[in-house]
Amino acid sequence: METKQQAPFIDIKDLSHIYTDTENNEVLALDKVNLAIRPGEFVAVIGTNGSGKSTLARHLNALLLPSEGTVKIQGMDTLDETKLWEIRQNVGMVFQNPDNQIVAAVVEEDVAFGPENIGVPPDEIRQRVEDALKAVGMTEYRTRAPHLLSGGQKQRVAIAGTLALGSNCIVLDEPTAMLDPQGRKEIVGTVRKLNKEKHITVVYITHNMVEAIHADRVVVMKKGRILFQGTPQEVFSRVEELEELGLEAPLAAKVAFELRKTGMKLPQGIITNEDLAQALA
Amino acid sequence: MSIELEHVSFTYSKGTPYEKEVLHDISLTIEKGEFVAIIGHTGSGKSTLIQHLNGLLHPTKGKALLDGTDLSGKTKEARAARGKVGMVFQYPEHQLFAETVYEDVAFGPRNLGLTEDEVEQRVREALQFVGLDYDALAQRSPFNLSGGQMRRVAIAGVVSMKPDYLILDEPSAGLDPGARRDVFREILSLYKKQGIGIIMVTHSMEDALQFANRLLVVYDGRIIMDGKPAALFRERRKELQDVGLDIPEIYKLKDALRAKGLAIPETVTDTASLLKEIRKRKGLK
Repeated sequence: METKQQAPFIDIKDLSHIYTDTENNEVLALDKVNLAIRPGEFVAVIGTNGSGKSTLARHLNALLLPSEGTVKIQGMDTLDETKLWEIRQNVGMVFQNPDNQIVAAVVEEDVAFGPENIGVPPDEIRQRVEDALKAVGMTEYRTRAPHLLSGGQKQRVAIAGTLALGSNCIVLDEPTAMLDPQGRKEIVGTVRKLNKEKHITVVYITHNMVEAIHADRVVVMKKGRILFQGTPQEVFSRVEELEELGLEAPLAAKVAFELRKTGMKLPQGIITNEDLAQALA
Repeated sequence: MSIELEHVSFTYSKGTPYEKEVLHDISLTIEKGEFVAIIGHTGSGKSTLIQHLNGLLHPTKGKALLDGTDLSGKTKEARAARGKVGMVFQYPEHQLFAETVYEDVAFGPRNLGLTEDEVEQRVREALQFVGLDYDALAQRSPFNLSGGQMRRVAIAGVVSMKPDYLILDEPSAGLDPGARRDVFREILSLYKKQGIGIIMVTHSMEDALQFANRLLVVYDGRIIMDGKPAALFRERRKELQDVGLDIPEIYKLKDALRAKGLAIPETVTDTASLLKEIRKRKGLK
């Protein structure tokens, strides 16, 4: 495949992250992580609380810097201070709490905040804001006050903010954890669309396995390490291992696993409800 | 024993240009033996509603009563009544503040004017109840625990007040599946062993189906559905989806199976029964 030959968008080599906690213990939050992400790839990262997922995410746009090893974004080393702003324009971050990421009193001003700060000419800002809001389906809300939007809408505005800055990679750290079901649907749909139609590289951290089903690759973390990774079909078929880790396979995968255990012959790689229904039909 | 709302309406910023009625004439009785899940989209009025159940907000119209005592009163009885309803806010671990787990959990009981021996007893019981090892953790800083452990410390802080009712605002938000199971194990045991009434706000349809025996659906400041979770998810899914909610995954799986000609009975709402049914239908044991 052509994409496989491309240079990685994100290239992480032997990345370790050590910090000192409030009791003065040294904690190894990331332990020699190696990971390469292709341009346009959709990677979901799963793992329990404290497995190092969020620490890893923060290394992707130099919010944290390696204690050991390297992180390169399109070849730029996050330790190279002269590349800092370029890296942060390339990789946008969206966090869990929609209320902590809004800076302006009007949606379009919020989205314009990033490009204004890096000195984009006004005409171009207007164009970028328009494109970004359109891409996340928020055009009709452009003159609204962000605090009156729903959680899903606020998160979409946050995503638009990264697009307006010119990011071609978005890192989302549990973006749906605080959202209602409608909001969750909006975010999952928006992210998939940006990935498919605009070839935005996506790193999607989540506890909700159903949201990871549509990724190209699922990475499972434990105690600062990558434990295993593969397609969603490969990863979610390892039902018992996931449960031992304190994670959970999607319901269809679990049901398929249990049925196979009692002797039912089912094809491998069942992870969606439709897969299972097809196999049982 | 019960908490009762009688024709409760609530208006924010009353008397200002921003005034807005966010609860409209709600009447509701919650008995002590119930496990109630409250669902509704963001901004539906759920949080405003639960804050009326322990007197954090007072109704603009109508009354909130605990066993007949008005929760908005200024009397000693009213204060005691409010103390019987514990509230665990969203992301309660953000409210941990003390240097040690012990001090954090002891804060409430100490404010009750108990002796230090009694306080220690309460802390021990509360930590044991949420499944945390007193000897290993009491003197640790709460800020260096895992997310799930921090949340359980926060819940212990409320449990140490020995409430008759416990209100939890999204107890599983942001937790991984294992930590979620742990937290719910504690909540279920509070409910079953101590008979504490549980009122839980959640965005997780799975939690509502799996744990609650009564489901309230809030929309636009009104309770639009009130019944058994399984029955509401089965019979009123269209309406639920119309108000920005959803149905649990198992119902979606059953839909997919039905579409392929494998109809699973309505009564099947958990994985074990579903497996049994599929095996039966496929002629396996």
